[in-house]
Amino acid sequence: MTSSLNHDPYISLSKITKGYKISGDDVPIFSNLDLEIPGGDFVAIMGPSGSGKSTLLNMLAGIDRPDTGSLRIGTSRLDQMSEAARASWRAHFMGIIFQFYNLLPMLNVAENVELPLLLKPLSAKERRSRVEKVLDLVGLTGRARQYPKLMSGGQQQRVGIARAIVSDPALLLCDEPTGDLDRKSADEVLEMLRFLNRELGKTIIMVTHDPQAALYAKRTLHLDKGNFVEERRAAL
Amino acid sequence: MTFLDLARKNAWRKPLRTALLVICIAVAFLIYGLTASFVNGSQGASGASDDILGVMSAAGRTQPLPISYMNRIEGDPDVAALNYMIRLRGFVVAEKNVVSVSAVDPQRVMEVSGKELGLTPQLLDALNLQRDKVLVGRALADAQGLQVGQNITVTGFDLARQDGSRNWSFGIAGIFDGENASTDTYFMLGRYDYLNAARARNRDTVDAFVVRPKVSASAGELAVRIDQMFANSAAPTRTQSEKQFLEAFLRQYADVGLIVDLVVSAAFITLLMIVINTMVFAVRERTFEIGVLKALGFSGMQVMLLVLGETLFVFAVGGSIGLVLAKLLVAISDPALGLVFSMPVLAKALAIIAFLGLATGALPAFNALRTPVIVAFRGR
Repeated sequence: MTSSLNHDPYISLSKITKGYKISGDDVPIFSNLDLEIPGGDFVAIMGPSGSGKSTLLNMLAGIDRPDTGSLRIGTSRLDQMSEAARASWRAHFMGIIFQFYNLLPMLNVAENVELPLLLKPLSAKERRSRVEKVLDLVGLTGRARQYPKLMSGGQQQRVGIARAIVSDPALLLCDEPTGDLDRKSADEVLEMLRFLNRELGKTIIMVTHDPQAALYAKRTLHLDKGNFVEERRAAL
Repeated sequence: MTFLDLARKNAWRKPLRTALLVICIAVAFLIYGLTASFVNGSQGASGASDDILGVMSAAGRTQPLPISYMNRIEGDPDVAALNYMIRLRGFVVAEKNVVSVSAVDPQRVMEVSGKELGLTPQLLDALNLQRDKVLVGRALADAQGLQVGQNITVTGFDLARQDGSRNWSFGIAGIFDGENASTDTYFMLGRYDYLNAARARNRDTVDAFVVRPKVSASAGELAVRIDQMFANSAAPTRTQSEKQFLEAFLRQYADVGLIVDLVVSAAFITLLMIVINTMVFAVRERTFEIGVLKALGFSGMQVMLLVLGETLFVFAVGGSIGLVLAKLLVAISDPALGLVFSMPVLAKALAIIAFLGLATGALPAFNALRTPVIVAFRGR
């Protein structure tokens, strides 16, 4: 499948405000944040610590809510959905890749990848078939029965990617996916993300501190003090 | 993999902790299985009927009643069948071999209790063969190695013969098994005419009448009517169901049921606290992973069910081990102990397993349900 950048905004944030109470004081993170991301885009979000990158990613994942403003992904208004509805939305429309992989240690590779499929009405055979397919895609064929603790960081992150894409979500959110990896492993993971974006048409939002990682994205947004201050587009 | 597999794998992620919990639960259910089998079996109360009535002297169970009461009791239209008996308590050979002989009318015992005791026409014929024949209950026969054809002498504690001796000779004519495992068969059935003719005192009296009411009749109302019949006589009666009688009889020594309930409750309350405490810590340790599951799309309810599944799994494994051990110990125990591990005991134990599994999992499961993903992620 070739990349097709759909220019209708797939993700739309409008007049988002968000703040936290820290030691009784209101600490604003965003005020009137606007953002539009078309379907099929690959966006890197950079910025210093405390700039709001993780908060933004959490809101896009539906695990945190804006205080005001609208947050739409596809046809879903995440800001208006209940906790249970957002969980269901995550199960069907979004995959998430963590910095520290967050694989469950008592499950082997295949079982970790299968986890999101437990939430779908699939037979055991269908689940197995999908798991085999994505493990093949991330180059882990033959390691299905291995346990995460016996794998390198790069391999564990591939398992994390396989888990994120096994339910075929349109949106992938990556929280510092190469932050715990050496350069070589990081490049392999980033190549894989680029492949998923270009060949499978996944919309990818990646939070990163690593400028080299950001080069893999189609565009990079710099966030500072709750506002986007710079945008760089990669040469296609 | 299924949700249950996931719960199971979660439960076994710290094998030592889980093994200790399982042992703890197994021991509690072993205690429960044995004590419940004791209450169920040794009292014979579970096998005793609520409908069959025993009519005894109101002055005490050792006081005799005139056999002439039989005609008046039988005159009540709600009486389907009636039997009368003398009890001979004594020992065989050595004083530790305590036995009890209920001396009855063979035909009447068949009509009143034949089904419950598992009496067959062949056994009845064998008992009718000679006046000194007895039928031995299976539990007693197994406990004391008594066999058909054997002649035994029962030395009575109280009942003396006309010659002053307290030795009563019997020939074992058969063994009755009882209707089911919970039927009390730790006694013998002898003949009333034999004991009545030979005893020194209280001839033509009985220790008790046993009444089977008609199916349509109320046993409680019939009991009241029978006692009213003799309220103003020289020997007033006290009529109770067989079950009430057995329970009251045991309560003379101790309220076994209450003691057992207290022991079992103490075991289960301790268990409840240990498991709740352990599970709360186990789930708290995994707060971050709960956040991961929720981030992957698991709802709060699904995570809650996973935690409940985990505690249910631990209880199911521990409880099953405890109950299997209890069943095995009951099977190899001395029949004289009268332990009976019946279906009602098993069903009640399974219900307790399910209840405790859910009760102990409720608090940690509720915590898991309520933990927001953001808070869970801070837990790393």
